[in-house]
Amino acid sequence: MYDTIVIGAGLSGMLAAIGRAERGERVLVLAKGYGATHWSTGCIDLLADSADPFQRIAQLARQYPHHPYALAGPTAIESGISRLRAICEAANYPLAGNLNRNLLLPTALGALRPTAFAPVTMIAGDARQLRDGRPTLIASFAELRDFFPPLIAANLRAQGIAATAAQLTLPPTSRQRDFSPVTLARLCEQPAFRASLGEQLAKLVQQGGYARIGLPAILGLKHATEVVRELQNRAGALIFEIPTLPVSVPGMRLYQILEEELIRLGGRIQLGSFVQRGEHIGDTLIAVHSEAAAREQRHTARRWVLATGGVLGGGVRATPEGHLRETALDLPLQVPAGRAGWFAPRFLAEEGHPVFQSGVRVDERLRPLDAAGRVVYDNVMVVGGALAGFDPIREGSLEGTAIATAWMAGMS
Amino acid sequence: MDHIELSLTQSLDHCIKCNICTSACPVAAVTDAFPGPKYVGPQAQRFRHAAQPVPDESVDYCSGCRVCNQVCPTGVRIAELNARARAQIVAERGMPLRNRIIARSDLVGRLSSGPHAPLVNMTLHFAPARWLIERVMGIHRRAPLPKASTYTFRRWFKRRHPATNGKRPQVVYFHGCSTNYYEPRVGQAAVAVLEHLGFEVIVPPQRCCGLPLLSNGDFPAAQKRHEYNVAHLLPYARAGIPIVGTSTSCTLTLKEEAPELLGLHGDDVRAVAVGTYDIFEFLRDLYMQGRLRTDFRPVERTFPYHPPCQLRAHRIGRPVLDVLELVPGLRLQESRAECCGIAGTYGIKREKYQIAMDVGQPLFDFVRTSGQDTALCDSETCRWQISAATGVTTRHPIEVLAEAYGLLS
Repeated sequence: MYDTIVIGAGLSGMLAAIGRAERGERVLVLAKGYGATHWSTGCIDLLADSADPFQRIAQLARQYPHHPYALAGPTAIESGISRLRAICEAANYPLAGNLNRNLLLPTALGALRPTAFAPVTMIAGDARQLRDGRPTLIASFAELRDFFPPLIAANLRAQGIAATAAQLTLPPTSRQRDFSPVTLARLCEQPAFRASLGEQLAKLVQQGGYARIGLPAILGLKHATEVVRELQNRAGALIFEIPTLPVSVPGMRLYQILEEELIRLGGRIQLGSFVQRGEHIGDTLIAVHSEAAAREQRHTARRWVLATGGVLGGGVRATPEGHLRETALDLPLQVPAGRAGWFAPRFLAEEGHPVFQSGVRVDERLRPLDAAGRVVYDNVMVVGGALAGFDPIREGSLEGTAIATAWMAGMS
Repeated sequence: MDHIELSLTQSLDHCIKCNICTSACPVAAVTDAFPGPKYVGPQAQRFRHAAQPVPDESVDYCSGCRVCNQVCPTGVRIAELNARARAQIVAERGMPLRNRIIARSDLVGRLSSGPHAPLVNMTLHFAPARWLIERVMGIHRRAPLPKASTYTFRRWFKRRHPATNGKRPQVVYFHGCSTNYYEPRVGQAAVAVLEHLGFEVIVPPQRCCGLPLLSNGDFPAAQKRHEYNVAHLLPYARAGIPIVGTSTSCTLTLKEEAPELLGLHGDDVRAVAVGTYDIFEFLRDLYMQGRLRTDFRPVERTFPYHPPCQLRAHRIGRPVLDVLELVPGLRLQESRAECCGIAGTYGIKREKYQIAMDVGQPLFDFVRTSGQDTALCDSETCRWQISAATGVTTRHPIEVLAEAYGLLS
């Protein structure tokens, strides 16, 4: 019934699905649940260890010809990012930034994190601006756990940024218990709540002369750009969001924008459907079976995209016996030799842990390969975190590699 | 430890505390009474032990919609944990009279339907009576209650002259309480469609699937009903005759809810589960095998369609969209609202009515702004909730299919 079935609903799966749907195909996204978008910052990390990520990617591709960036090539990286930005722009949630210059944005610990593109709601937090000597305020509600302005401000001061902390009073609300980032984001969608928050910020700006205010990333789910604009107008200072611990509101926004775009293009999404196994004739995958009530559901398509993630996203699982398994199609994995080789001796080892480079090895068209280098399925493309030979978290390339490979699968 | 117990205990350890479930939960979004699936599910479960007092009562505010299961990135079976926890509370403390009554939809239906139905309906739509029922019984005075039918589906089925030639492939129809006592027209449409497709329809003796009892925590009474149904459906399941239902919550209960929650894993229970299909799932399978007739009349209509939680819990996609898109002219607008709020008997309870209405608000807005006079939904209590909240008639999609085949006048 479908031209393409994408397995996995994270950034790479959704973008690949959008690409196929744009080409006029009937597309289904099958996923176990929400993807890693809901845990991530909502920013686009390309590569962390360089001021100019795009130039560093070119070097990396020469050095490691099997790296996802090398397979995708600069065109897929550029066009994938520009498509994603256009989708976000159309949803009035622009992603600002530059391929050739990393931003440095504060984390919820007050560390400065390099990223290439960030939603406009975060952009005023770039360290280059924060270091201009004008005072910055970091503020939050005590009701929000795991976000401590004094800690963030102290760490920012240690890095040469004139930051102070303040605690905000929760505007009157019928909610009394358990304020997660999402609860607060929903409250921020209410005009009265926003107005009261804006007044408090204005008062703090009058007292402290702050040029900018950093707030947790809770400023609305659907209308974040307007919420930030309105608060800036009321407060008389620039406002920037700082990503929180999961669930990440900016991650949810990004997912929702992608979901809406896919549905607009006629695609379907089926969550709660854990793909168990594939069915093939020779090197053609003809069907997959997903877990369902009482019996599995069989899905057929001409072409498939595997976007289930790696160890983090759940596409690669360790068995109690000490083996690693690709969960959906049981594809051969490139893994460290032996269980003892999974981890470096030190927990915080600079070079990272080898197990996180585990994944599916692919050819230049992203088709899965076995240990002997033969193509396993001719009509399957593997994208994002499920790919072998890179450590996306350590490299700071999670979104960049996801977008580049997804767009390659979406456009090929 | 039975299979589900084991899988629940293990899935508990798969919880990585990411809070995705809580952020998606439609109940936690509107009330403080329910702290969210993560808290009452995998977290509280660590403190639940047969020999220990119940650590947390807010689990009773879980509506059982299973959105948490659907979005969980690590496969924790939160809704099942909650249903079992509620049953443990009921086993320890007993069940309020109200819940004992509303959970017996077979009994309530039998008492309400029949020639005296107009009287019942009048009473149940008479404000002072509803006020009294709220005070005495705890059923909210504005809660949507269905209109009882003057005749039952079973009686209609027995008296009709079926179109059979004796050589047709057979199919069993599981009508459920709602079709039998409140909406026989849904069953009539299903029978018409199945016969049009060349089947002989069999309606064996059946009782309530037991879902209202499961969701109110009365597991022993649910088990009795499930065992009765298995005994009467088994010969057909064993003979490879499909069991097809129009109530998506009944079919889910036969397939999975009853076996899993009650820990029934015998071969008979399993055979009935595997042989049961939601009607549009069955029709979609026929289509994929090239066996679905497509002699449709054009239906130049647009309907808002809500895939209910109970259907989504089958994890079979959107069979209604897959089948109805074959009808020329027909357009369905899919609702992306999480839940209508009613969740079976949840939203008619006095203390939960407002929560249910708040949960359903995005859906009601969607249906109202569609500008259409009819909406579609596979689940009966959801249809009643949508109709009551929006004033828009809500029908089962099988009625539209029957119309497209030209089977309804």
